[in-house]
Amino acid sequence: MTESDEERRLEGTGVTPAVGVGPVHWLAADLELPDPPDADAVDPSTERERVADARERALEALDREREATAERVGESEAEIFDAHAAFLTDPQLEDGIDEAIDDGLPAAHAVRAAFEDPIAQFEAMEGSMAERADDLRDVRDRLVRTLLGRESTGIPSGSVLLAERLTPSDTTGLDPDAVAGVATVTGGRTAHAAILARALGLPAVVGVGEELRELEAGTRVVVDGERGLVIVDPDPETRARAERERDLEPIAEPVETADDRPIEVAANVGGDDFAAAADRGADGIGLFRTEFLFLDREEPPTEDEQYEAYADALEAFPDGRVIVRTLDVGGDKPLPYREGAPERNPFLGARGIRVALGELSDLFETQLRAICRAAATEDGGDLAVMFPMIATIEELEEALARLEAAASEVAEEGVDRERPEVGVMIETPSAAFVADELAARVDFLSIGTNDLTQYVMAADRENERVANLQDPLHPAVLRAIDRTTSHGSDAWVGVCGELAGDPAVTELLIGLGVEELSMSPIAIPAVKRRVREIDSAEARALADRALEAETREDVRTLLDGE
Amino acid sequence: MIDRSLTVVPENGLHARPAARFVSTASQYDSVIEVSTEDGEPVDASSMLAVTGLNVRSGERVTLSVDGPDEDAAFEALEEILTTPEEE
Repeated sequence: MTESDEERRLEGTGVTPAVGVGPVHWLAADLELPDPPDADAVDPSTERERVADARERALEALDREREATAERVGESEAEIFDAHAAFLTDPQLEDGIDEAIDDGLPAAHAVRAAFEDPIAQFEAMEGSMAERADDLRDVRDRLVRTLLGRESTGIPSGSVLLAERLTPSDTTGLDPDAVAGVATVTGGRTAHAAILARALGLPAVVGVGEELRELEAGTRVVVDGERGLVIVDPDPETRARAERERDLEPIAEPVETADDRPIEVAANVGGDDFAAAADRGADGIGLFRTEFLFLDREEPPTEDEQYEAYADALEAFPDGRVIVRTLDVGGDKPLPYREGAPERNPFLGARGIRVALGELSDLFETQLRAICRAAATEDGGDLAVMFPMIATIEELEEALARLEAAASEVAEEGVDRERPEVGVMIETPSAAFVADELAARVDFLSIGTNDLTQYVMAADRENERVANLQDPLHPAVLRAIDRTTSHGSDAWVGVCGELAGDPAVTELLIGLGVEELSMSPIAIPAVKRRVREIDSAEARALADRALEAETREDVRTLLDGE
Repeated sequence: MIDRSLTVVPENGLHARPAARFVSTASQYDSVIEVSTEDGEPVDASSMLAVTGLNVRSGERVTLSVDGPDEDAAFEALEEILTTPEEE
């Protein structure tokens, strides 16, 4: 997708593999109250009764929402509402409200006043305790809404809901058929509201930041809950693509080209959303980024923890293949519990297999043991293992020896010896140049087009000054892909970079000899459809012409002409 | 009066869900029930605000004191919540 001059992209954290399109509607997060009347004008006993009555009604509403959530999402998510009920009937808060009423405040103002300090206290605490502050705000607003008789929020159908933050009640109160998507200023992937949005399949991006606040009601946006983007004033092409992704029904079964060549269409997964990937019609997982198991924590994951994660992924694809990429950290992705010396060019430094074979050798061994154990489990699909950032044959042989050692070790401990399929990522020009030697030693090669483009073009992916060089359709990158597919041995070749998820490029990739495409789950239905329309011979002819192209403009013209 | 120290087992400590269970259970008994962390002041076990405010993590020790007519049953019920891993 190219960015036009008009549209603006705000980045946040995507929480759902789904996209939504629509005009913006702001959820009035803080219910404005008029100034309270003079203390003499308030009758405390009436106000206390009003609060008691509102509390009852709010508890009943919580109960109904709890039931609905248990049914739609699950029992454990529904228990969030138990915490809210407990806050609603908290004796300390009840006392606080009573005191505020005695001081002369009317009911709604008293509720506001009584919640102020507890919210501030939770907010000041570290980590997940800040989420309790969100729960308290939620309970407070529920009580205030009930007191004001504004229980329903009146969201226009088809709009994209924006909020400072989204509370669990806001989220479960939303009708996924009526709301196009949600985006919030603050919040993270693990907040209750995010979990609920994901469970409801609601396109959602959280933690977009201050820029989101500038969007006025009615502004058109695309909420891309997979890529974590809010696209403001999308151009027609972006919108059409988003609408296509939104409306396409997943194809559950594997697909073939029009002339019966099977093409595996798999998902890139960076968290534990295996079920979501399967729901979008993934044949398997083509890239399981295991880094998420290692990052954002104080200690590395244990062998058992990893084993569980891999086994869960396999279970989600009983008839498919799950390609587990070994630890790909270092340089740009530092581990909190390992301090490496800062590097001048981290992208050209100690990354991927280089650190796995070196300073992170012990973590690598543990991971390989977990992989070998998971590969031996009876349940679920086939596990494959893939090494990142390979640049030389020696690195591959060393990694294979480590894998063999781990397999022998667990075999001695009584685990069935199962040799997983093994592959390497083709991300460096050197790997592309020696693809034939690599292919002779492994079962598959998987091209990471993002890094391969970065290294072929010598243009840092994160440096906007060289953004014009970061085009995976440059003939130089295409020739590196061709070099990889023409290795002359039995190993199959896949693509797991961003390029794989663009249906406009599917024919070219198949023409180049790619047999597997792995992408964001959201792109799967469109790519599967595209595969079915493609004729292999025509695709090969297109690829041949693209390989002869001199510039990337020539390649794009060629693709547009098809 | 029962006054005993326990290690909190649920993975998320005494936060949202286990805390809600703990608080609503404590509210069902007539006994006066208080909970405290190792060097903290005891707080009312029937207050969600007070209990979550303790910020008790998994593996931390807390003291549970129960005083009243149904103290045995109350202690037993609360002990179970504090020492049973949270099922997902």
